[in-house]
Amino acid sequence: MQPDDLTGVLAPKLGVRLKGVEPFPGTAGRVRFEREAALDLFRAVRDDLGFRHLSMVGGIDWVDHREVFYVLWSDDAKQYLVLSTDVPADDPRVETASSVWPSANWHEREAWELVGIVFDHHPDLRHLLTPDGYEFRPLLRSFKLHEPEELEVKARHV
Amino acid sequence: MTAPTAQLARPKESAPPSGSLELGTELPMVGEAAVPFLEIETLRAKEFIPAAKEALGSLIAEQGHAKVIRPVFNWAGRNSLFPLHWGLACCAIEFAAAFGARWDAERFGVVPRSSPRQCDVMIVNGTVTWKVAHKLITLYEQMPEPKWVIAMGNCATGGGPFRTAYSVVPGVDKLVPVDVYIAGCPPRPEAMLDGILELEKLIRERKE
Repeated sequence: MQPDDLTGVLAPKLGVRLKGVEPFPGTAGRVRFEREAALDLFRAVRDDLGFRHLSMVGGIDWVDHREVFYVLWSDDAKQYLVLSTDVPADDPRVETASSVWPSANWHEREAWELVGIVFDHHPDLRHLLTPDGYEFRPLLRSFKLHEPEELEVKARHV
Repeated sequence: MTAPTAQLARPKESAPPSGSLELGTELPMVGEAAVPFLEIETLRAKEFIPAAKEALGSLIAEQGHAKVIRPVFNWAGRNSLFPLHWGLACCAIEFAAAFGARWDAERFGVVPRSSPRQCDVMIVNGTVTWKVAHKLITLYEQMPEPKWVIAMGNCATGGGPFRTAYSVVPGVDKLVPVDVYIAGCPPRPEAMLDGILELEKLIRERKE
């Protein structure tokens, strides 16, 4: 499966909300999309293209904006696929993928607590690795490496 | 050499196999020696117990309860240290190896127990994160007094290589009082046994 094949399937369904499909090493391609089209894209990718397994959901902090990416696997094509969207840093929201791939649940919890991406309509957006009430987003670039005592004072009150 | 085993199987000068069921003649040594031995011991115990009670009472009155009874409790306690059977990180592998056949920590009376209600000592073997911190405190509070804590390895001692990480407690002594620190990443089972022996020295000198 080539990027052109992906464009041929996805472009009629998404229209201008599909920002393009580019080659990405080791995968079938990297699909860039507007975040408003997330749910439509997820369903099209799963039902029309056959990517039924979600391997990973992650977030990247690019300082001026943040990126949410999804890595998918197709057992039919034996290929990976990367979906990627940009969200503004002051409003990092995107629709949850857990209604399409249930395995997104914990991955999105992790991306939420570490990078601060908020997944709308997530069934159970709780802390996974850090304690309840932990306010920091440790994988953001603005997170400074704390002195242990300073962090202790902050973490003790969670 | 015809059938030598048949000759050896029968003891020399033994009684004939039939008609030898009189107890007095068959087992004279057992019957005569055992009964007076037991009677003498019983009589001595009857005299000994009140005498010992009186001597012990006067000794306690003279020297104080703590000086007489406390060493007995310390002796019993330090030779039956039951650690909590749990593992946090890779130090738990060394913890488990110490109870295997090669190092055999049970020869020091150290038997891991699965319930904190039955434990004397908590061996914190691994990295303590803030996520697990309140569970560690709960387990510690569930242990009956007297209780001790051993921080095993660099992570439990001071956070180890993860000291400045966002999720790691920089030393378990921030959460519970620690009696013995064991260095190493991870410490070998010998080091863990050495830490237990250090704790036994502490318990030997325990006063109250």
